[in-house]
Amino acid sequence: MKECKKINKDLVAFLYGELPDERQQFISSHLEECSSCQREREKLKEVHERADSLNEDIKAVMASVNWETLPDQITDTVFGKEVQEPKESWVLGISRVLFQPKLRPVYAALLVGVFLGALFTFILFRSPLQRVAREDLISYPPGFIEKVELEMARRETLDYLKKSQYLILDFVQTSAETAPSTWQRDFASQKVKDLLSKKKYINQQLDKFKMAKAKETCNQIEFLIYELVQISDEIPAWRLQEIHDFIEEKQLLLKIKLLEKELKQSEKSEV
Amino acid sequence: MHGRTIGEKEDVYALLERIKNDDREAFRELVSLYQKRIFLLAFSFFHNREDAMDIVQETFMRLHQKIHTFREGENFKSWIFRVAKNLCIDHYRKNHSKGKEWGSEQSLEEMNLPCKNGDNSHQALDLKMIFSRCLEKLAERQRMVFVLKHYNQLKYREIAQVLNISPGTVKSLHFKAVQNLRGLVSPYLGRVQ
Repeated sequence: MKECKKINKDLVAFLYGELPDERQQFISSHLEECSSCQREREKLKEVHERADSLNEDIKAVMASVNWETLPDQITDTVFGKEVQEPKESWVLGISRVLFQPKLRPVYAALLVGVFLGALFTFILFRSPLQRVAREDLISYPPGFIEKVELEMARRETLDYLKKSQYLILDFVQTSAETAPSTWQRDFASQKVKDLLSKKKYINQQLDKFKMAKAKETCNQIEFLIYELVQISDEIPAWRLQEIHDFIEEKQLLLKIKLLEKELKQSEKSEV
Repeated sequence: MHGRTIGEKEDVYALLERIKNDDREAFRELVSLYQKRIFLLAFSFFHNREDAMDIVQETFMRLHQKIHTFREGENFKSWIFRVAKNLCIDHYRKNHSKGKEWGSEQSLEEMNLPCKNGDNSHQALDLKMIFSRCLEKLAERQRMVFVLKHYNQLKYREIAQVLNISPGTVKSLHFKAVQNLRGLVSPYLGRVQ
């Protein structure tokens, strides 16, 4: 019985052939004679058979695995795909440089800047003050701006004519009595320079509003003024006479008066 | 089932040397040699195809990472089985230990019991499931010893190397595993008392 207890402890190893040959032989002989140990062996064999029943499942599952491709899959996972990468194009090279991770904060800052800039611009142009100003501009009736500009051109021309008229009258009345140096001083004054620059301005206005007649008169006045500006002490008497003749010939003073009258009338008729 | 020949052993060590030099083809050959054995171990342990496939992949990834720790003269088969065993236990603790069971959620008691008069395919299927569940109920080391012995057909000496224990302890654990399985399975077997 004591022997059977020892043998029972070795029965599992015996069934799996794990004992030394001598021990295997001994237990094998004992089992032929001992019915109790034979029953114990049968019980253990039952477990062994049940364990073997899983072998079918194991075989079926093993047959479902593609053992041919698995080594490649695992190798690819471990070493990475062994695919010859095509030579990197210059576009990819540039984009790799541009989109490198360390530049991300810069791009983020730029994006934030652009966004904030757009937002402030939007807010600025949507402010009530700006809206009112824009709405005012839009509410002007059509042709209003042109009318204002025409009126300004007319007044500028009238002003130019009036000042020129005084200048010419002054010259006509005093040239016979005083020395040329007096005129020279008058015509070199700032007043005359302003008059010449004003002419440059009203030239554009006269062209724009097709005031050809007024422009002709203004041009003659301008010519005269330029002549007067050049007067010096040594001016000969015949040259002075020529200027007087020019004023009379062109009837400048009369033309100025007529033009003034005409401009004033057109102003009234438009109003 | 998979006896190791001297030629294979020499080949494996040559492959390992090449793998240490990052030889991709050598690695692929080694996977071809051991993939089924690792799968068998993992599938016997989990009885689940996907878990077993994960373990196979992870084992070879770990092998590639730790190849430089493999010492000359060491038994490679035991070494790689040890890696796979550790992964199985980690995987089990992570995914199966919290009340999870393999297969269906059906309890052992809910399964059809085999009748003495005859067997049919449905009952046979349940018996397989019952045995799987009984195997799962074993303590971790007993289960691993039983799986390595019964399904992987490793010698006690090899199992001892895998589990880093003595062959005597392996023998003892195997005996306990079979006795416990007998106790767990017997209520469902007509012939076993």
